[in-house]
This record gives sequence, C-alpha cells and structure tokens, in this order.
Amino acid sequence: TMANAGNINAVRETMDVLLEISRLLNTGLDMESLSICVRLCEQGINPEALSSVIKELRKASEGLKVRINKYCLL
Amino acid sequence: MTHWTKLERDLEEDIKRLIQCVSGVQDEEDANFQMAMKFAWSNFRFHQFLDVNGHKVQRTINGVHEKLLVHSDLVKAESWKRLTEAFLNAPLPNTEGTKTEMHYSILAVLLFLSDSPSNTNFTERPRLKEAEKKDDFDWGKYLMEGEEIDMGPYPDTPEWSEEESEEGDSQQPLSREDSGIQVDRTPLDDQDQSKKTVQSMWKVGEPEARAWLGQHVVTQYWAAKAPRFSHSLHLHSNLVNVWDQHLYNTDPLYTPDEKICVTETQVIRETLWLMSGVKKLFIFQVLDGKITVRNDVVVTHLTSNCLRSVLEHIAAYGQAVFRLQKFIDEVTGYSTEPLPPGSSSTAKRGSEPPFRTYQAFVWALYKYFITFKEELTNIERCIVIKDESVTLTAVLDRLAPHLAQIKVLHKVFCTGVAEVPPDTANVVRASHLLNTLYKAIIEYDSLGEASEQAVSLLFSLWVETVRPYLEIVDEWIVHGNLFDPAKEFIIQRNKDVPVNHRDFWYATYTLYSVSETVENEEKLSDTASGSSASDQAAAASKQHTMVSFLKPVLKQIIMAGKSMQLLKNLERNDSSPQKNSARDAERKSLYALFLESVQSRLRFGEESPADTVTEQQATKQSLIKMQSIVARHLEIDEVHDPLLAINFARLYLEQNDFHEKFSGGDVIVDRSSESVTCQTFELTLRSCLYPHIEKRYFQCCGNLMQTLKKDYRLVEYLQAMRNYFLLEAGDTMYDFYTAIFNKVLEKESWQQLSFLNVQLQEAVGQRYPEDSTRLSIFLEAVDPAKKKLPVNNLDGLTLSYKVPWPVDIVISSECQKIYNQVFLLLLQIKWAKYSLDTLRFHELNFATKKSEGVLFDQEAAKEPIKQQIHRMCLLRVKLMHFVNSLHNYIMTRILHSTGLEFQHQVEEAKDLDQLIKIHYRYLSTIHDRCLLREKVSFVKEAIMKVLNLVLMFSGRWQAGFGAWKIESIDKMESDFKNCHMFLVTILNKAVCRGSFPHLESLALSLMAGFEQC
Repeated sequence: TMANAGNINAVRETMDVLLEISRLLNTGLDMESLSICVRLCEQGINPEALSSVIKELRKASEGLKVRINKYCLL
Repeated sequence: MTHWTKLERDLEEDIKRLIQCVSGVQDEEDANFQMAMKFAWSNFRFHQFLDVNGHKVQRTINGVHEKLLVHSDLVKAESWKRLTEAFLNAPLPNTEGTKTEMHYSILAVLLFLSDSPSNTNFTERPRLKEAEKKDDFDWGKYLMEGEEIDMGPYPDTPEWSEEESEEGDSQQPLSREDSGIQVDRTPLDDQDQSKKTVQSMWKVGEPEARAWLGQHVVTQYWAAKAPRFSHSLHLHSNLVNVWDQHLYNTDPLYTPDEKICVTETQVIRETLWLMSGVKKLFIFQVLDGKITVRNDVVVTHLTSNCLRSVLEHIAAYGQAVFRLQKFIDEVTGYSTEPLPPGSSSTAKRGSEPPFRTYQAFVWALYKYFITFKEELTNIERCIVIKDESVTLTAVLDRLAPHLAQIKVLHKVFCTGVAEVPPDTANVVRASHLLNTLYKAIIEYDSLGEASEQAVSLLFSLWVETVRPYLEIVDEWIVHGNLFDPAKEFIIQRNKDVPVNHRDFWYATYTLYSVSETVENEEKLSDTASGSSASDQAAAASKQHTMVSFLKPVLKQIIMAGKSMQLLKNLERNDSSPQKNSARDAERKSLYALFLESVQSRLRFGEESPADTVTEQQATKQSLIKMQSIVARHLEIDEVHDPLLAINFARLYLEQNDFHEKFSGGDVIVDRSSESVTCQTFELTLRSCLYPHIEKRYFQCCGNLMQTLKKDYRLVEYLQAMRNYFLLEAGDTMYDFYTAIFNKVLEKESWQQLSFLNVQLQEAVGQRYPEDSTRLSIFLEAVDPAKKKLPVNNLDGLTLSYKVPWPVDIVISSECQKIYNQVFLLLLQIKWAKYSLDTLRFHELNFATKKSEGVLFDQEAAKEPIKQQIHRMCLLRVKLMHFVNSLHNYIMTRILHSTGLEFQHQVEEAKDLDQLIKIHYRYLSTIHDRCLLREKVSFVKEAIMKVLNLVLMFSGRWQAGFGAWKIESIDKMESDFKNCHMFLVTILNKAVCRGSFPHLESLALSLMAGFEQC
C-alpha cells in the first residue's frame, strides 16, 4: 500500500499535522513516540488503554528517576 | 497462523519501542523493562474501556475548540480546527480512506494525553512548504538512474574534491542545498546550530589557515554538537546516507536518530588505542568493566549495522586486553581505580609477601604486550606517514595473529586465574595456574602446526611463570632452605619441627596436592614424610593432581631438599662459609640450566621436523636459517650483505657445532623465533628439566649418604645394633646372658637393674668401651598371667641403645622395639640351649643313687630305673637336636645371611629415605623369619612349648629321680613328640608350598630328628 512515493509523502504530511495537534494538546509526545502510537492504534489497541499505559509508564519512570537520584545522593 | 504471529511480533516490537521512548529504560533485560512489558500487555489485552466512538471524539474536538474560544485563544482555536480537519481528511499509513475510526482513535489517544492545552504557548510551525521543498529534489537524476557513465579511474569528480579541499565559503551552501541527504537528515534547529558553529569557524582566520587546520587538526567528533566534517559526496562514500534515505522513503514512520559521523581513520585510531589499553575512548565505552560500542557512531561509507558488527568484534578483543591489563595492574600494584570488593588484593598487598608465581606470569604477559604494542605503534605510524592506505579491514588482517594470541592468553587467564575463587590459598592458585598453562600447551601442541604460534606463546609464558617454582626448588635443593614466603609452593615447611629433631625427616614438610577432577580445588594436605609423600603422589597420580610438570621428579625434589637441609645443618659446624659462597657464585641456577637446555633443544628441535621432509629441503631450510643468523651477526658489525651472509652460512653449515659456537652465550629464550615448536612438550621437559633435578638429587643424597656413613658412622651403628640385639658379638653377649642364666640355675633372683646393668657393662666394656655408655638394659612390667611358664621368665628384659642424631632418623625407637623382640627370642633359645648343655650325667646318677638308697627294698624297681635313665638321656639328646637345629637356623640361616644382604643394600642406598626403607625391610624380614609374626603365632607357640619342655626337663634332671613322678617322663616324651610332629608337618607343608624357602633347612633338620625316633 505504501509503494508509491506520493502516498508516503501524504502520510508524512499527516504525521506532521498530527505532531502539531499533539503539540497543541501538550501531550508531551515526540515524533517517534507519536509514530509508535499511530502504529499501535492501527493494530487495534484501544486508545484509552494506550493512553493510560503511557501515563503509568511516565509516572513509574519518574519514580525510578527519583529513586536513582536519591541513591546517588546517598 | 503465521500471519497472526507476525502481527503479534510487530505489536511486541512496537510496545518495546514505546517503553523505551516513554520510560527511557533501554535494556530489555532490565527487570523494570520486563515489568513494563507485562504491564503494557495486560492493559492492552484486558481493559474495560469502550471502543472508540467517532461522534464522541468529534464532540470532544468541538469542545476543545469552544474552550479555546472561551479562553479567547483565537489563533489557537483556529489552528486546532484547521489541523484536526486536515488530519481527519489525511491518509494514514496502513488504513484506507479518511475520517475512519482509526483517525478518531489516534485523536482520542492525543486527547486522553492532553495536558491543559489552553495554558500552553503554541505557535503553529510552518511545515507544508518544507515538505514540498524536499519533494523537489530529483533523486533519480541525482543518483543518475538509468544512465551509464564511465566514471574513469577516479570516481570522485575532480570538481567536487577541488571545491571541497580548496575553499571554505563554498562548503556551506554546498552541503545545504546540493546534498539533499544532509538537509533531510538534519532537523531544522540542528541545522541552525551547525550554521552557527560554521560561522564561528569563520573567525578562525584566513582561509589558508582554516584549510591547514582542516587538514591537520582532527574534528572534535567526541564533543557534543561537533561540526560535521566535510567528505566526498560520491555515492560510494555515502552509503550510510543512501541507506537512511531508503529507509526514510519506504517507511513513513521512520525517524532517523542523531548520528555522529566519524572517519574510518578515526575508527582505526580508536581501535588501536583500545588494543593498547586506553580506557577513555569515544567509540568504545567502558561500562561496569565491560566494553561496549557506542551505537550512534557512523562512518559515511558503511551502514551503521555493518560498522557496529565490525566494532563489536573488535570490542570483544578490547575486552580481553582490558581484562588482562587490569590483572597486570592489580598484580603490579599499579591500579589507579578502586578494585571491586571481590578482589581484595590491594588490601592484602601491603602486609603480605609477594606472590611470585603471579608476578612472573604478569611479567610474561607484560612482555607479550610490549611486542603487541610495538605492532600497534607501527600501524599507527603507517597511518601518520600516509604512504599506504590503511583500512580497518587491513588493520584487522594485520593484527589477526596477535588477536588470536590474545584470545589464547585470555582463555588461559580466565581458566587459570579469573575463575579461581577469591579466598583460595596461594599454593592452589599457583599450581592451578601452572597446570592450566601446562594443559593448554599440551592441548594446543596436539593440534600440530595449526597452533604453532599459540604453543610457542604459551610455552614462553609457561617458562616465565614457572620461574619462581624452579627458583624455590633450586634454593631448596642447593642450600637446603625452602624459601617461600607467600606459601605458593606445593611443599611447605612445618616451622615447629627443628632440623636436629628426630622427627625432622618425617614431619617437617607438608605436600599439597590439588585435585582437579573434583569440581574445584581441593586440598589434600598431609603431614607427609619423605616416603609417604611420594607414596601419596603415586596414589594421587590417577586423578590429575598438583603441579603436573613436577610430578615425575617430585620425590627426588623432596629427597634432595630434605637431604640438603639436613646436610647443611650437619655441616654448619665444620665448613667455612666463604668457600661455599665462592662455589655458589660459579654455580648456575636450576632455572638458568633449564633455559639453556630448552634453548639448545629447541635449536636442534628445529631440524627434527625436517627429517620427514626430503633431505634437500632440510639443507635448504637450515641454510635459510643459518643465513638469518649469520646476517644478524653481520649486522652487529654493521655489515649488510645478504650474499655474504649466504656464503657464510654455507661455510658454517659444514661445521656441525656451529650453533653452540655462535649462540651458546645468551640465556633468554628467543621469542622472536616463533617458528620454534616445542613438539612433544613433555619430552622437552624430560630432557631439559628433569635431568638437572635428578643430577642435583644424586649429588645431594649421595653427599648425605656419604656424610652419614663417613662422619656419622651410620654403618657402625647398624653393626652395633646387630652386635647386641642380634647377638652377633657372640662372646660379649655370652658373658652377659650366661651370668643371668647361672643366677636362674642357682635359683637366685636376677631381676635387679643394677645387677643386669653391671653385667652388661662388664661384658661390653671389655671389648667395645665406646658402646658401654650407650647401652643399657631395662625391665619392663609384664602381665603376671604370662609369667607362669619358665620360658616366659625372661619376658620384659629390654635392651636400649642410645643412638645419636642424625642416625636416629634411621634407627628409630620403633626399630629398637623390633630388635628387642628378636633379642628376647634369641635369649629364650640361648637359655634353652644353655640349660641342656650344662646338664651333667653324674648329676642324674647321683640322684639315682640317692633314690636307690631310699628305695633299697624295692629290688623290682632297680631295672626300670636304669631304663628310665636311658630314656632321659635319649630324650635329652632329642631335645638337644631340636634346640640346636632351631638355634642354627636362626643364627646362621636367618640372621647371618639376611644381615649380609642388608649390608650390601646399605652400600647401594641412594638416599636417606631408601636407607630407612631398607632398614625397615630388613627388620621386618628377620621379624618374619623368626616366626614372630602374628599370622604364624601357632608355630611360635609350638616352639615355645618345646623350649618350655626343655627347661622343665633340665630342671627335673637336676632335681634327680624321686623328686618327680616317673610318669612325667612319659608325659614329656609324648608332649615333645606331639610338638615335634606338629612342627614337622607344618613346616613341610610350608616348604612344599614353596612360600617360605628359608624354612627348608629347619624343616629338614627337624624331620631328620623325627625319623630317628
């Protein structure tokens, strides 16, 4: 489906638009994670589930960083 | 099915990347990562959320728009509306159509993730223009698709290279506009950055200066945001960009990573530095002692995967070098970093004596690394000179033999050093290391020519590592001093036993043997005497044990060492130290001798494989070899003439002893002669090491034997033992024992120490005055139940001879016990013989007359009395025959002949251990043959019965007739007959079986006596 260059460019444009939307909504996603989200959605992952996973992962990694910082201070 | 699994796999891959992106945890093995994976999967599979509803999402979009309007964020609201519209009408990568459920799903994700959009500053970025600009570039034309152009010998068009090297101003526009690749790859702001840096570079100075700098100063690729260096734009040298472009073109979601471009030369340099042990590098990074390759480094002409696989290959070797270097640093105490808690060698080092085996091993490694680094430096010099093109592949090719060797070294190091648990005793460490090397040599040696290099490397390593051991051995067997402060030698001195103690020979040394068949090292320590140590060694040889290379000569080493120590102690009083030290200066150490032999053997060994080749080839080979040697010698005199060298070689070839003449002097094994194979390594050892040790062993032990025999009169003491204990000094001992026997006959008490000792001193003092002080006699308490029979009257009589040190090592108190057992038996026989010999006929007659007087009336009794006298006489003769046979057998057949054999063996004895063994064997032989062994106690009992009978008989004889009943003669006759018959039967059986040939004479003479009856 993505053989022709026109389509690829169109998709790339879509992604650019999407990145702008993402920035406007202040989601904190960069291009790479945005691409992954799109792929996951297209593979049928529930958006609400996906967003909750991302939020949890962010929280968890914050916790991890805090712990590492504490460890370093100790 | 497969389709499904592919989907699953894709999904899995995407989830992984999502976790990496969001959480920043990169390592998939990380426990946190695993947890996140589980969490994500379970949430995606088992959630309770409703499916996406397009209307609902549209309502939310409208809501956001309204909210923005309410916040009077008109620009934002307008953008929002326009962007969402645009998105909903735009195509998605894998979904057909617009405004599909997918579109809403994706928007839903963003909406769920949105974080107070009204509060953020947002300005829409222009983007459509950018994208159009990209599309303008005609790649087909740029890549000259479909056109066939002869590139000529130089594919780089001169125009490009000129512009590139010549002027700086053209660079900037060139890289921005003409190279579409670069523009594409660089994000917008980054490009600004590079622009800035380039501009700052402008200030450096004049264009010439800048060009000079560009040529002579390396770009700071290690610094973040370093300026890109310029390079040829030809297709061949832009593979990485072409590949990136391809990925970009085929996958709309591909996001190129930020890469750092380096040149191949820089990669080579870093490789060389890595190999020479530099730790702070850019491309290779040390993380927790592990060398990893940076994954954002690219060279322009290779794809990053390709480069990465090559670099990872190099990193593996770098790891080995790093580990070895670390070990070298640890042992030399040069380490700059704090060590991990596992290896606490630094903490110990201060107080503990140096562990010389490891030091020697490290020294050997260090020597190897010197040559390796020389090679690295040569390569680096090549790069600097720029005479030839140096590529990574070429460098790897050139280093290949070295890398193979490093692999071997690392392998040996891992098994020999690294795998040993940290708190292992030094002796185990040392012997394990030596064994590992030894085994590795044998292993590689069996591979033949394929591993010649490895063998020669390992051999040189082994030769170095073994040095401390050989020095310890040398010190021990030459000076008698086991100097081993770090306790690394397999034999350890027990400090609490002084040399001049009689236990010295037995309890001074502990032999450690390291069992390798058991999973780890196991210490079988044993307070081993010389003999039992060697026995243990023999027993342990089945399981691969201790330092294998010393095993064949271990016994000799122990013997020589102990002998030497003893000898030194003996000589301490009388020999002058000056003489010794002078002699010592001339002496070559064992290690030096070993090296010399190895060298000469290897030199001859070189020719040995040629035997299989035709003779012509052999001469040709040796000619070449000669030539190289001669050339080297000529060079010393600054003559460089290959022809002259060849002719010299031809000339010298005719002289067989050329080798010795030319290169006999130096002692260091020539490592440069890599062609040297140590085929049949064990043979090498056998011919190079063992003879030296054996020679030394013969010297030491021979010396000790000589000293003991000559200065310490060992033989005389052994003779004295036989003289007194085995009654070889017949006249002396006769005086002693007859005095006792007479007392017994006179029914006086003889069991007084003073009486016994006076008798002994008198007897001995006449003929052997020097022994009279050493000899004394004791009475040991004997179980009174045993004393009933007259023959046991003598039990407890014990002779003691004070043997001075060091002869008491041979004649120990245990030996004296055995001597005493034989002594007692001999006394018993002598007593029986004496009591029969001293009987007088007139005594019996006199007694008869007396009884005649008493029994005067009984005429009838007269006749039987005469008959009885006759019977008594007959019995006496029979008993005498028996006792004399026994006496002869013991005194001549056993003691005398065995004694002669013993004396002969003593002459032959090579070392003290052997002498001790010979002495023990002698004692056990006479003990056996005197029938004192527990196994043949029934024979001895029968003999004792007869001896007892003899004593009773002589007592009755002296008492005369009438003092006892006539019937007792019958009893005595039958008892004797029984015992006699029993003995004859038993002895005959034994003789017929052939198991005791020495009994034959006794059996025959007893038989003769029996047939007379």
